Amino acid sequence: MNTATVNAKKIGGSAIEVRAISKRFGDHVALDNVHLDIRPGELVALLGPSGSGKTSLLRIIAGLEAPDSGQIMFGAEDASRRQAGEREVGFVFQHYALFRHMTVFENVAFGLRVVPRARRLARGVIAERVTKLLELVQLGWLADRYPSQLSGGQRQRVALARALAIEPKVLLLDEPFAALDAKVRKELRRWLRALHEEVKLTSVFVTHDQDEALELADRVVVMSAGKVEQIGAPGDVYTAPASAFVHEFLGDTNRLACRVAAGRVLLADGGVLGRAEAPDGEAIAYVRPHELDVVPSADAPAVIHHASTFGPLVRLIVAFGATNLDVAMPVERWVRLGLSVNDRVDLAARYGAVFTDPAGPAARLLPMVPGAPFAAAVRLQGAGRRA
Amino acid sequence: MTAAGVPARRSDGALARRLLIGLAVAVAFILLGLPLAIVIVEAFARGAWTYLAALTDQDTLDAIRLTLLVALCSVVVTTVFGVAAAWCIARFEFRGRSLLLTVIDLPFSVSPVIAGLVQVLLFGRRGWLGPFLEAHDIRIVFALPGIVLATVFVTLPFVARELIPLMQEQGAEEEEAALSLGASGWQTFLRVTLPNIRFALLTGVLLANARAMGEFGAVSVVSGHIRGATNTMPLQVEILFNDYQIEAAFAVASVLAMLALVTLGLKLALERKSDTHTHEERPT
Amino acid sequence: MAQASALGRPRRVIPGLGLSFTITTSTLAALVLLPLAAMVAMSLSKGLPAFVAALADRRVLAAFRVTILAALGAAVVSAVCGMLLAWVLTRYRFPGRRFIDAAVDLPFALPTAVAGIALTALYAPNGWIGALLEPLGITVAFTPLGIGVALVFVGLPFVVRAVQPILEDLPADEEEAARLLGATRTQIFLRVIMPAAAPALITGFTMAFARGLGEYGSVIFIAGNKPMLSEIVPLLIVIQLDQYNYVGAAAIGTAMLMVSFVMLMVINRLQAWAAAR
Repeated sequence: MNTATVNAKKIGGSAIEVRAISKRFGDHVALDNVHLDIRPGELVALLGPSGSGKTSLLRIIAGLEAPDSGQIMFGAEDASRRQAGEREVGFVFQHYALFRHMTVFENVAFGLRVVPRARRLARGVIAERVTKLLELVQLGWLADRYPSQLSGGQRQRVALARALAIEPKVLLLDEPFAALDAKVRKELRRWLRALHEEVKLTSVFVTHDQDEALELADRVVVMSAGKVEQIGAPGDVYTAPASAFVHEFLGDTNRLACRVAAGRVLLADGGVLGRAEAPDGEAIAYVRPHELDVVPSADAPAVIHHASTFGPLVRLIVAFGATNLDVAMPVERWVRLGLSVNDRVDLAARYGAVFTDPAGPAARLLPMVPGAPFAAAVRLQGAGRRA
Repeated sequence: MTAAGVPARRSDGALARRLLIGLAVAVAFILLGLPLAIVIVEAFARGAWTYLAALTDQDTLDAIRLTLLVALCSVVVTTVFGVAAAWCIARFEFRGRSLLLTVIDLPFSVSPVIAGLVQVLLFGRRGWLGPFLEAHDIRIVFALPGIVLATVFVTLPFVARELIPLMQEQGAEEEEAALSLGASGWQTFLRVTLPNIRFALLTGVLLANARAMGEFGAVSVVSGHIRGATNTMPLQVEILFNDYQIEAAFAVASVLAMLALVTLGLKLALERKSDTHTHEERPT
Repeated sequence: MAQASALGRPRRVIPGLGLSFTITTSTLAALVLLPLAAMVAMSLSKGLPAFVAALADRRVLAAFRVTILAALGAAVVSAVCGMLLAWVLTRYRFPGRRFIDAAVDLPFALPTAVAGIALTALYAPNGWIGALLEPLGITVAFTPLGIGVALVFVGLPFVVRAVQPILEDLPADEEEAARLLGATRTQIFLRVIMPAAAPALITGFTMAFARGLGEYGSVIFIAGNKPMLSEIVPLLIVIQLDQYNYVGAAAIGTAMLMVSFVMLMVINRLQAWAAAR
């Protein structure tokens, strides 16, 4: 990937460096020449759909899997030579992997108690550290419980305390919130972010949930089919996706086949979507629901099919020719427009992304008249009108 | 997402791994392989003719016939009992259900000799019913009924044991659906329940049959060892062995060993069949 | 169906409780419970002193001692060998694995008399194994050691089949977690795997022990049956019956039944304990 940046970073020192890692399982290529550089104290998300190789990468960093080729560097040291148990890695498993027959306290103390006698801490010191960790994860009062007596969120936090107990150099979390229900997930996400601010431990977590990655991480690594698609700050990957895949994966979007001609983005039937500084040719335009607007118009091509009117955003499904488009707008605007289901509307794109090459970066899609109010935006001339 | 767990197992030291496999193979060979092998070797120690002669001996043929008869009788009882027990335990909640479950298992934890002993104490000449039976000239002990009763005692839990966990796991939904569609109780049992439990039922019958044919302790107490009349195959093995007719004893034993192997093979096939069957039905 | 409403919730959808319950309980009563009750009654038919006297006999006590010790020792060996077999069968893939897995059930299926004469032939002083042990001064056949060997054969599958499913279902991530926390292979085995497998192992051990206490067919050939030395309890029952001493036989049988009940309770407790964890 970005060999230049990788080399530049090395001088500043990185906590973990993934060098040209490849891994196959039978015929399936899990990871294909992956490079990645994680800075000290950073919280990085590995984001991708299932099968993208993110969990394999995490397990390889931990030493739970051996790569077919490539190296994992922890600082200046080649970690590939170290056994999993010697890597000083804290790992939080997707289903927590708590030891069922041990109490919460014993679970957290485990990593300290298995140290060879010569290097093992005194009993009292271990107890003190475990207690402190349980305080940190706010579970001191559950020390004598067994995992089966805890809620999902509590188990998650025990797993975290257990991983932190060995004072790891890196913390790795595999889908840390996937097994939790939505409400707990949200709380725990905030809590984990706060905890990270407090301990400043280099951390990598795997997720398939873009909201989770974008909200929590300092940097997001978007993966697809064993390759890194993009690495960047959450805002950057969201607003400037490096590929059509990244745009599509990060949040809801509408996909429109189109053609670029002399800076104009044209739909299949010749309707004008907007303008973009892109080379002429076939292209794909993406417009996110909140970037689309509707304007009431009796002879318009599109029809509102469905409207969910709860919450701060109203979500519409608008039939436009043969496709259904998602539109989202603030509830105030919806009220002001006074529309209802089956009304005819014009559609206008405020922004969007145009990919002439799906594997390359996007050109920005803008309205034909810059800065124009929505109502004045150029109408999409859809097939629906003529049909 | 990836093949979780494989590497943890792979990284067990190669040496330790080989050592453990070697040890396990050795244990299996000595404890399981050799006893089976010596039966075959000893049976044929004096050649195939002696072997055949031992098997076609009139007393041995009588023993085989009696064994088949006893097995047939006791398997029928065990099967009817097993299906009834599984039906009432797996389909209903009632007080004393877990007690009933314990009592069903009771014969498993009682010595087979006791299974024979109780028949003698009930029906023997000095047993509780001895005088009555003698007065009416009914023979139970040292005769077929006693042998069957002792065998039934020992094999009683086999079918129930296979069916109860399966039927509990399957739940009553399908039966309830059939009944709600207007099927009668018997129709529901024959068309819905029975097809669902058929492999487990066969496994239970198979195991009960193997135990019935091979039972020694219980039968030995009630049989009286009357050659040609109340000797089953295992008893015939004992008699021949104690008479120092070693080859003949092993010849009969080899038939029983073959029965055990066939039983194991069929059981394995049934397990595999029921596995693929459930997998087909629940493709998750 | 009168019984059905008496037994539980009325108006259930599924029919047949009355019939199946009647078949089940009457069969059990007639073929199992009544005969056992007859045995207990017979054992007490000449009064409690006679019952105690029948058991307090030196030969009977010696038989109980030999039987219990042999069953206990055999259960320990079965537990060790069974754990090894279960471990190797679940953890490793090697040629012949499925074959050995199937062979574990052999003692369940092989008639005990066949096992008895086979083991006797193997461990007799001129047998395949006996001849190897003879120069070492170890005599197996016709000694208490022979009883132990027969009971290991009989008890082994109980342990393997109890432990195997637990080892199979052991989640891999717990072991991985232990490994990442720095535990060695031995520590993982002792602190993570064994505690999880222990209830099953103890259950298997107890079942092997219980079976060993009552085992008859595979033992009497190899035991030699020397009074006071290698005579097992079930054999004493047979001997008493041959002498028409019904009360004595019933007393020994009742004592064995009581031991079985205790073992059954222990097994149930263990299973409840294991399920609770």
